Amino acid sequence: MIVSKLEKAAWVNLAVVIACVLIGSIGFFALTRMNARGVGNIIVVFVVACVSGLGTYLMRRKRGFEAHLDERERLIYKRSLEWAFVAAIAFLACICIVPFFVLGGQNVIRVYYLPVVFLSTLFAAQFVHSAAILVQSAREDDDAQ
Amino acid sequence: MPSDRLSNQIRRLRFENGEMTQQQLADKAGVTRQTIIAIEAGKYAPSLPLAFRIAHAFGIPLEDVFQYDGDANPSRPGPDSAR
Repeated sequence: MIVSKLEKAAWVNLAVVIACVLIGSIGFFALTRMNARGVGNIIVVFVVACVSGLGTYLMRRKRGFEAHLDERERLIYKRSLEWAFVAAIAFLACICIVPFFVLGGQNVIRVYYLPVVFLSTLFAAQFVHSAAILVQSAREDDDAQ
Repeated sequence: MPSDRLSNQIRRLRFENGEMTQQQLADKAGVTRQTIIAIEAGKYAPSLPLAFRIAHAFGIPLEDVFQYDGDANPSRPGPDSAR
Protein backbone atom coordinates (compact mmCIF):
# COMPACT_ATOMS: atom_id res chain seq x y z
CA MET A 1 0.00 0.00 0.00
CA ILE A 2 1.39 3.40 -1.02
CA VAL A 3 0.62 6.37 1.19
CA SER A 4 1.05 9.82 -0.36
CA LYS A 5 1.98 13.00 1.48
CA LEU A 6 -1.66 14.11 1.27
CA GLU A 7 -2.90 10.88 2.85
CA LYS A 8 -0.25 11.06 5.59
CA ALA A 9 -1.33 14.61 6.38
CA ALA A 10 -4.98 13.49 6.42
CA TRP A 11 -4.20 10.65 8.87
CA VAL A 12 -2.27 13.03 11.14
CA ASN A 13 -5.06 15.59 10.95
CA LEU A 14 -7.66 12.93 11.73
CA ALA A 15 -5.66 11.78 14.77
CA VAL A 16 -5.23 15.37 15.99
CA VAL A 17 -8.95 16.11 15.58
CA ILE A 18 -9.99 12.92 17.41
CA ALA A 19 -7.49 13.66 20.22
CA CYS A 20 -8.76 17.26 20.47
CA VAL A 21 -12.36 16.09 20.62
CA LEU A 22 -11.57 13.50 23.31
CA ILE A 23 -9.48 15.90 25.43
CA GLY A 24 -11.96 18.73 24.87
CA SER A 25 -14.97 16.56 25.80
CA ILE A 26 -13.30 15.18 28.93
CA GLY A 27 -12.13 18.68 29.91
CA PHE A 28 -15.53 20.20 29.27
CA PHE A 29 -17.48 17.62 31.26
CA ALA A 30 -14.92 17.72 34.09
CA LEU A 31 -15.10 21.52 34.28
CA THR A 32 -18.88 21.74 34.17
CA ARG A 33 -19.06 19.28 37.07
CA MET A 34 -16.81 21.59 39.15
CA ASN A 35 -17.88 24.73 40.95
CA ALA A 36 -20.19 26.63 38.59
CA ARG A 37 -18.72 30.08 39.54
CA GLY A 38 -15.25 29.27 38.27
CA VAL A 39 -16.42 27.41 35.22
CA GLY A 40 -16.98 30.53 33.09
CA ASN A 41 -13.37 31.76 33.29
CA ILE A 42 -11.84 28.33 32.91
CA ILE A 43 -14.02 27.57 29.90
CA VAL A 44 -12.97 30.80 28.19
CA VAL A 45 -9.28 29.99 28.70
CA PHE A 46 -9.88 26.45 27.55
CA VAL A 47 -11.72 27.54 24.40
CA VAL A 48 -9.08 30.15 23.50
CA ALA A 49 -6.32 27.56 23.98
CA CYS A 50 -8.11 25.05 21.80
CA VAL A 51 -8.88 27.54 19.01
CA SER A 52 -5.34 28.94 18.97
CA GLY A 53 -3.86 25.46 19.05
CA LEU A 54 -5.99 24.28 16.16
CA GLY A 55 -5.45 27.54 14.26
CA THR A 56 -1.67 27.34 14.64
CA TYR A 57 -1.69 23.74 13.56
CA LEU A 58 -3.81 24.46 10.48
CA MET A 59 -1.72 27.49 9.47
CA ARG A 60 1.54 25.58 9.85
CA ARG A 61 0.10 22.80 7.73
CA LYS A 62 -1.26 25.13 5.09
CA ARG A 63 1.99 27.06 4.49
CA GLY A 64 3.60 25.53 1.42
CA PHE A 65 1.57 22.38 1.81
CA GLU A 66 -0.43 22.73 -1.40
CA ALA A 67 2.73 23.55 -3.37
CA HIS A 68 3.92 19.97 -2.91
CA LEU A 69 0.70 18.42 -4.19
CA ASP A 70 0.21 17.41 -7.79
CA GLU A 71 -2.94 18.29 -9.76
CA ARG A 72 -4.91 15.16 -8.79
CA GLU A 73 -4.11 15.61 -5.09
CA ARG A 74 -5.05 19.29 -5.33
CA LEU A 75 -8.39 18.28 -6.83
CA ILE A 76 -8.98 15.77 -4.01
CA TYR A 77 -7.98 18.44 -1.48
CA LYS A 78 -10.37 21.03 -2.95
CA ARG A 79 -13.23 18.52 -3.21
CA SER A 80 -12.65 17.56 0.42
CA LEU A 81 -12.84 21.22 1.42
CA GLU A 82 -16.27 21.41 -0.25
CA TRP A 83 -17.39 18.30 1.69
CA ALA A 84 -16.07 19.86 4.90
CA PHE A 85 -17.98 23.08 4.24
CA VAL A 86 -21.23 21.16 3.65
CA ALA A 87 -20.55 19.07 6.78
CA ALA A 88 -19.97 22.21 8.84
CA ILE A 89 -23.27 23.73 7.69
CA ALA A 90 -25.16 20.46 8.29
CA PHE A 91 -23.55 20.00 11.71
CA LEU A 92 -24.29 23.59 12.71
CA ALA A 93 -27.89 23.23 11.55
CA CYS A 94 -28.34 20.01 13.54
CA ILE A 95 -26.65 21.31 16.70
CA CYS A 96 -28.79 24.48 16.62
CA ILE A 97 -32.13 22.98 15.62
CA VAL A 98 -32.13 19.69 17.57
CA PRO A 99 -32.10 21.39 21.05
CA PHE A 100 -35.04 23.53 19.93
CA PHE A 101 -37.19 20.44 19.41
CA VAL A 102 -35.74 18.49 22.36
CA LEU A 103 -35.87 21.27 24.97
CA GLY A 104 -38.68 23.36 23.54
CA GLY A 105 -38.78 26.97 22.43
CA GLN A 106 -39.20 28.45 25.94
CA ASN A 107 -36.20 26.72 27.52
CA VAL A 108 -32.79 28.23 28.36
CA ILE A 109 -29.30 27.10 27.31
CA ARG A 110 -26.15 28.17 29.18
CA VAL A 111 -23.90 30.60 27.34
CA TYR A 112 -20.81 28.42 27.69
CA TYR A 113 -22.35 26.05 25.18
CA LEU A 114 -21.83 28.64 22.42
CA PRO A 115 -18.03 28.24 22.15
CA VAL A 116 -18.57 24.51 22.43
CA VAL A 117 -20.91 24.68 19.42
CA PHE A 118 -18.32 26.72 17.53
CA LEU A 119 -15.47 24.33 18.36
CA SER A 120 -17.56 21.25 17.61
CA THR A 121 -18.40 22.64 14.16
CA LEU A 122 -14.71 23.31 13.53
CA PHE A 123 -13.76 19.80 14.59
CA ALA A 124 -16.58 18.23 12.54
CA ALA A 125 -15.43 20.11 9.44
CA GLN A 126 -11.81 19.06 10.00
CA PHE A 127 -12.86 15.47 10.60
CA VAL A 128 -14.90 15.34 7.38
CA HIS A 129 -12.10 17.06 5.45
CA SER A 130 -9.55 14.43 6.47
CA ALA A 131 -11.99 11.55 6.07
CA ALA A 132 -12.98 12.79 2.59
CA ILE A 133 -9.32 12.90 1.52
CA LEU A 134 -8.79 9.34 2.72
CA VAL A 135 -12.02 8.06 1.13
CA GLN A 136 -11.26 9.66 -2.24
CA SER A 137 -7.67 8.42 -2.18
CA ALA A 138 -8.78 4.91 -1.26
CA ARG A 139 -11.30 4.91 -4.11
CA GLU A 140 -8.57 5.64 -6.64
CA ASP A 141 -5.99 3.44 -4.97
CA ASP A 142 -5.29 0.54 -7.26
CA ASP A 143 -1.94 -1.06 -6.61
CA ALA A 144 -1.55 -2.68 -10.01
CA GLN A 145 2.10 -2.21 -10.96
CA MET B 1 -25.08 14.37 -23.48
CA PRO B 2 -21.83 12.97 -24.90
CA SER B 3 -20.07 10.31 -22.87
CA ASP B 4 -16.52 11.50 -22.14
CA ARG B 5 -14.13 8.60 -21.91
CA LEU B 6 -10.37 8.85 -22.15
CA SER B 7 -8.41 5.68 -22.78
CA ASN B 8 -4.64 5.46 -22.66
CA GLN B 9 -1.73 3.26 -23.63
CA ILE B 10 0.47 4.13 -20.65
CA ARG B 11 0.84 0.58 -19.36
CA ARG B 12 1.84 -0.78 -22.77
CA LEU B 13 4.19 2.15 -23.41
CA ARG B 14 5.87 1.70 -20.03
CA PHE B 15 6.71 -1.89 -20.82
CA GLU B 16 7.85 -0.99 -24.33
CA ASN B 17 10.18 1.64 -22.86
CA GLY B 18 12.43 -0.71 -20.94
CA GLU B 19 9.79 -1.76 -18.42
CA MET B 20 9.64 1.74 -17.00
CA THR B 21 8.11 1.70 -13.52
CA GLN B 22 5.18 3.86 -12.51
CA GLN B 23 7.51 5.71 -10.14
CA GLN B 24 9.98 6.50 -12.94
CA LEU B 25 7.18 7.82 -15.14
CA ALA B 26 5.80 9.81 -12.21
CA ASP B 27 9.21 11.40 -11.63
CA LYS B 28 9.51 12.32 -15.31
CA ALA B 29 6.00 13.80 -15.41
CA GLY B 30 6.38 15.57 -12.06
CA VAL B 31 3.47 13.88 -10.28
CA THR B 32 3.03 11.21 -7.63
CA ARG B 33 2.93 7.50 -8.38
CA GLN B 34 -0.69 7.40 -7.22
CA THR B 35 -1.61 9.87 -9.96
CA ILE B 36 0.02 7.67 -12.61
CA ILE B 37 -1.84 4.66 -11.17
CA ALA B 38 -5.15 6.56 -11.32
CA ILE B 39 -4.53 7.76 -14.90
CA GLU B 40 -3.47 4.30 -16.04
CA ALA B 41 -6.61 2.77 -14.57
CA GLY B 42 -8.77 5.41 -16.26
CA LYS B 43 -9.94 6.77 -12.90
CA TYR B 44 -8.49 10.22 -13.42
CA ALA B 45 -8.37 12.31 -16.60
CA PRO B 46 -5.15 14.37 -16.56
CA SER B 47 -4.95 18.03 -17.47
CA LEU B 48 -3.61 18.91 -20.92
CA PRO B 49 -0.15 19.99 -19.62
CA LEU B 50 0.22 16.75 -17.65
CA ALA B 51 -0.93 14.69 -20.64
CA PHE B 52 1.76 16.41 -22.74
CA ARG B 53 4.39 15.79 -20.05
CA ILE B 54 3.52 12.07 -20.04
CA ALA B 55 3.72 11.96 -23.84
CA HIS B 56 7.08 13.74 -23.73
CA ALA B 57 8.32 11.19 -21.19
CA PHE B 58 7.74 8.50 -23.82
CA GLY B 59 8.94 10.75 -26.65
CA ILE B 60 5.80 10.28 -28.73
CA PRO B 61 2.82 12.48 -29.73
CA LEU B 62 -0.05 12.99 -27.32
CA GLU B 63 -2.58 11.11 -29.45
CA ASP B 64 -0.43 7.97 -29.29
CA VAL B 65 -0.79 7.96 -25.51
CA PHE B 66 -4.36 9.16 -24.99
CA GLN B 67 -7.45 8.44 -27.08
CA TYR B 68 -10.79 10.15 -26.73
CA ASP B 69 -13.63 7.62 -26.90
CA GLY B 70 -16.46 10.09 -26.42
CA ASP B 71 -19.07 11.28 -28.91
CA ALA B 72 -17.18 12.59 -31.96
CA ASN B 73 -20.11 14.82 -33.01
CA PRO B 74 -21.49 16.58 -29.94
CA SER B 75 -24.85 18.29 -30.45
CA ARG B 76 -23.50 21.75 -29.52
CA PRO B 77 -23.69 24.03 -32.63
CA GLY B 78 -20.42 25.23 -34.06
CA PRO B 79 -19.58 28.83 -35.09
CA ASP B 80 -20.66 28.22 -38.71
CA SER B 81 -24.14 27.08 -37.76
CA ALA B 82 -25.26 30.67 -36.94
CA ARG B 83 -25.02 31.75 -40.57
